[in-house]
Amino acid sequence: MNEAVDQGHSRTPPGRLFRKYLYSIVTLAFAALAINTGFDVWFSYREQKQLLAATQREQAASAAIQIGQFIGQIENQIRWLARLPAELSTNEDERLNAIRLMRLSPAIAELTELDAQGREQVRVSRRIADRIGSNEDHSSSAAFRGANESLAYYGPVYFFGDTEPFMTIATRGIGREPNVVIAEVNLRFIWDLVAGIRVGNTGKAYVVDRLGVLIAHPDLWPALRRSDLSRHTDVRAALDGVGPPAGGLIKEDFSGQRVLSTYATVPSLGWLVFVELPLSEAYAPIYASIGRSTFLLIALLAIATLVSLWLSRRMTVPIQMLTQGARRIESGDLKLRLAIRTGDELEALGDQFNRMAAHLRESYATLERKVIERTSELEKARDHALAEHDAAERARSVAVAANETKSRFLAVVSHELRTPLNGVMGVLQLLDDGRLGEVQRRHLATAAASGETLIALVDAILEYARLEASTEALETRDFRLDQLIETAADLMRPQAFGKGLSFDLARDATVSTSVHGDPVRLNRILLNLIGNAIKFTPSGGISLSATAERHDDHALLRLVVRDTGIGIAPDMHERIFEDFVQADDSIARRFGGTGLGLAIARRLTRLMRGELTVESTPGKGSVFTLLVPLGHAASGVAQGAIAPPSRQRHVLLVDDDPVNCEVGEAILNRLGHRSAIARNGAEAVALAGNQPFDVILMDLHMPDMDGVEAAVRIRQLPLQPVPRIIVVTADVSRSTRERLAGAGITRVVSKPILINALREAIEDAPEPGATDAPLAPSALIDRHFLDDQKELLGALQITKLHRLLQETSEKLIADINAAAAAGDHKQLARYAHQLGSAASALGLVRLFDRCHDIELTAPSMSPDECQSAARELAALRAASMSALDDLLAPAEPRAVS
Amino acid sequence: MIERLAPARVVPAVARRDFIRLAGATAAGFFALGATSDRMRVVASITSLSLDDELTRRSMTESPTTRLGALIGGLRQRGWVEGVNYRFEVRSSFGGPDKMKAAVAELIDLGPDVILTGSTVETAAVMAATKTIPIVFATSNDPIGNGFVQSLAHPGGNVTGFTSSTAEMGGKWLQLIREAVPDIQRVGVLFNPASTPRAGRFYLDSVEQEAAAAGVTVVLTPIGTAAEIDGAIGRFAEPPKAAMISLVDSFLVVNRQAIVAATAKYRVPMIYPFHYFMDAGGLMSYGPTLEVRSADYVDLILRGTKAGDLPVQSPRKYELLINRTVANALGLTIPFTLLVRADEIRE
Repeated sequence: MNEAVDQGHSRTPPGRLFRKYLYSIVTLAFAALAINTGFDVWFSYREQKQLLAATQREQAASAAIQIGQFIGQIENQIRWLARLPAELSTNEDERLNAIRLMRLSPAIAELTELDAQGREQVRVSRRIADRIGSNEDHSSSAAFRGANESLAYYGPVYFFGDTEPFMTIATRGIGREPNVVIAEVNLRFIWDLVAGIRVGNTGKAYVVDRLGVLIAHPDLWPALRRSDLSRHTDVRAALDGVGPPAGGLIKEDFSGQRVLSTYATVPSLGWLVFVELPLSEAYAPIYASIGRSTFLLIALLAIATLVSLWLSRRMTVPIQMLTQGARRIESGDLKLRLAIRTGDELEALGDQFNRMAAHLRESYATLERKVIERTSELEKARDHALAEHDAAERARSVAVAANETKSRFLAVVSHELRTPLNGVMGVLQLLDDGRLGEVQRRHLATAAASGETLIALVDAILEYARLEASTEALETRDFRLDQLIETAADLMRPQAFGKGLSFDLARDATVSTSVHGDPVRLNRILLNLIGNAIKFTPSGGISLSATAERHDDHALLRLVVRDTGIGIAPDMHERIFEDFVQADDSIARRFGGTGLGLAIARRLTRLMRGELTVESTPGKGSVFTLLVPLGHAASGVAQGAIAPPSRQRHVLLVDDDPVNCEVGEAILNRLGHRSAIARNGAEAVALAGNQPFDVILMDLHMPDMDGVEAAVRIRQLPLQPVPRIIVVTADVSRSTRERLAGAGITRVVSKPILINALREAIEDAPEPGATDAPLAPSALIDRHFLDDQKELLGALQITKLHRLLQETSEKLIADINAAAAAGDHKQLARYAHQLGSAASALGLVRLFDRCHDIELTAPSMSPDECQSAARELAALRAASMSALDDLLAPAEPRAVS
Repeated sequence: MIERLAPARVVPAVARRDFIRLAGATAAGFFALGATSDRMRVVASITSLSLDDELTRRSMTESPTTRLGALIGGLRQRGWVEGVNYRFEVRSSFGGPDKMKAAVAELIDLGPDVILTGSTVETAAVMAATKTIPIVFATSNDPIGNGFVQSLAHPGGNVTGFTSSTAEMGGKWLQLIREAVPDIQRVGVLFNPASTPRAGRFYLDSVEQEAAAAGVTVVLTPIGTAAEIDGAIGRFAEPPKAAMISLVDSFLVVNRQAIVAATAKYRVPMIYPFHYFMDAGGLMSYGPTLEVRSADYVDLILRGTKAGDLPVQSPRKYELLINRTVANALGLTIPFTLLVRADEIRE
């Protein structure tokens, strides 16, 4: 029950408790009644059986006495006759006396009186004529001798006329010459006696003689048949003198009926009187008693069951009500009131339950009210917060846009600054022709140093802008860690010595390993940290320690740069990593610098998933700790030597800047490739058409034809093999990248060219013979959409659409070109819109996006921009259609459109 | 032995107050038998008496003093109710051999369950007609001699019954009539050779033996028809002084009125073997008491006991009846010895 109440979901089967109570009470009552009745019946059964046997023995004894009396009476009568004095009467009188006696005793069939010598005096018979004084000699007869020997003679039972049991009884008189009287007794008269013995209702008594012959039976005729019962075991045992069993004997009588039998012996005759009572009758009272007890038991059981039902119901109904109440409360119905009126603890429990429910209801109401209040408060707060959020979001978008603008500005400005600076620096180098005076040379050196500072400054700003725009990506490769650290130390050591500082390098053995990471960025961080240390340490020294903890999947590089410099106040420990911040303004004045170094270092560190921290005490010095995880190198990197290329390639270098051309050519030669140079886009297209190139290194910004357009034109040439185009640029703005992607150019190498970066870019070529897809189809086409369209419209419809798109887009591009040439912004926007719609039908997402952009921006475009947009759309359309051709007819030989 | 339904002991006389008990037993038997026996049983009886005879009249059947009455009453005590679970059919052989033949054939045709016969003649006739239908004879003086049964204790076959007076009774009758009429010189023995056992010889030996001892002449008086009765008895009216003995003979029973009338007419003292003659006005009778248990045997047979398994019963009691009025009319003085012996003295 507890489970049910506690858990609710484990429901109690209804009525289980009820049945439990019911069964218990009924069982108890039944057991008590059954045991009581059982004992009662058992003892009563035993007592009744003993009583029955005793009664029957009494009856047998009584019957035996009656039979004995019957014979004894006859004996007494003939004794009376025998003792009549002889002189008292004549023979005639004696005959009269005998007749009188026979009248008295119907059983006597014949009387004979003998004198002392055995001579017959008188014979009186019922059957034959009487005889007087025949003097017939009977002295040798058994009866005469028997009577003389003892007082009375009982002859054996004999059957007269085959069927009639008879018996001879003789006695003698008294005196000197006693008469002997012999009587023939018809034993059929015992029948009346035997028939009169009542043994129950259906029981009977019968008599057998000393030999076991039946002489009297209530049914008469079995006796007349001279039935010999001596073979019956019980009769035999009785004849042998074995006493009857105390409890009576159970046997089958003549008719096969089971009877309770016992017997008694007739005194002096030795006859046996058997008394038999059928078991059905004998045990009838016992059975009746058992029946009564059983009936009583059943009746009591029925009453007990009813009482149990009542009791169980009385006990379980309130509990069930409580259970149901609990269940209803569980389901939320708190208005429930239980009406348990048992006047006991259960009623108290019910009341308690009701009170609990009432409390619960009140609490619930309060809670509900509070919830409503709170909800409305929360709603208000939410609305408020949403409004604030919207405002914040708007502000953020504005800020983000501003930031982006700033970044682009910075990038453009720095790039634009760098180009003239390069020129200035180059001219400064040319000025020193060895004919300059000391003062001039000093001025020149100062100018050169200022220029270099300016270049560094621009570089820092450029880098910061890249990081800010999140466009900076790590360019990872395998490199020697120890080499990197040593090179940096070697680079900085002269500076430190130049300032009169000591420079210690503690390089742990663990850094003598190859790792995978971005060595350029790492080097920049390291140089920045060492540079700062040298810069802010007026006296003392700098120490650099490096260790690499080897982990399973990476090595954790720990670089610690320690100085004895001016230190940093604790409140500045974090701020120094922010943009344009130095320890204090006076420092900026004293030491100069942009304040971007540590910000860049930390950003780069984070980009490498590392950590850059500082510990410092003002006046005592600072400790910068750099922790960077680096991947394990795939294989050891050969030190110093540049690996030869997997195969020599023919590379076309396109750049309008002759310096860059020369540098690039030298690097390519160093990498083991053959190179050709084009100074502008047109020349590049012409060269590519004349000679086969594996790779074309294309500068992005060129005066007549920019890199993207040149690339698109080259693509349109029927070239075999198709050259791979790698763009070389310092422009990392998002729009530029998108433009490149739109033209199908994904490989970009940043300026200035680093030899390893270039090597990797060239080496990262697909196997010869493999098609150089201008753009990954996935970038141009939404394949899922296309697949869905295919499934929806069917291949035939798609083919139709494809052809239609091809024609329409070609015509639209022509229209767009015309509109751009005419400077008609409106038309340009309209055609761009039409092209976008057509492109979207087959999932040409890039083209669609670009069209959409141009549609939006067209009204504000300059005539040049219009032209550029038109070109761009043409190129993008060509690439997209090419990709679509491939997707829809992959089996067809690739046609270059 | 078979199942007993009710107190089955035959009480010699059913008292009127026992009637209710009897009726109850009847009802019990009715229900008990109703369950065991689905068909109406047939108890057939053949008698040499005319159906007009008062001994066979139905009004008498309720009286236990007649053989038929005792049977009907006894059967009722044992659960057999006439018209309910058995049918009682009586046929008379009165009227000659042809009549008897017809009566027997008629009874056999009924397919009875048991046939009761009155006397030796009918028994022999029925036995000749069937070897399967159980036969219970009411009287047969010599069933072994007649070939009815193999032995009295174990009859075998399909016949059993009851014997009447034994052969020695002839001497007893002579002794008794001599005591009533002491001065007789001759005794006439009346019988019909056709209907008395062994044509009269059954009793005659003992009669002659006793007559010889007493010095009396035995005069055999066989008769064949009723018409001869008057003449046969009339012959003993003249001296020398005579008395007569009537033997056990169904013919004589049938013609008892004529015989008694003739003895009165000719003043001839006669002793009879049955009390029926006393009812007709006879002087004296000595014979077995009517203790016939034919109901007992019929009951047992109806319940399936074989007749041959039931022993032939002999009479147990004998009774002496004397009509003192008749004696006075004949000028006879009844002596002490007879008075002491007499079971009933009618005035």
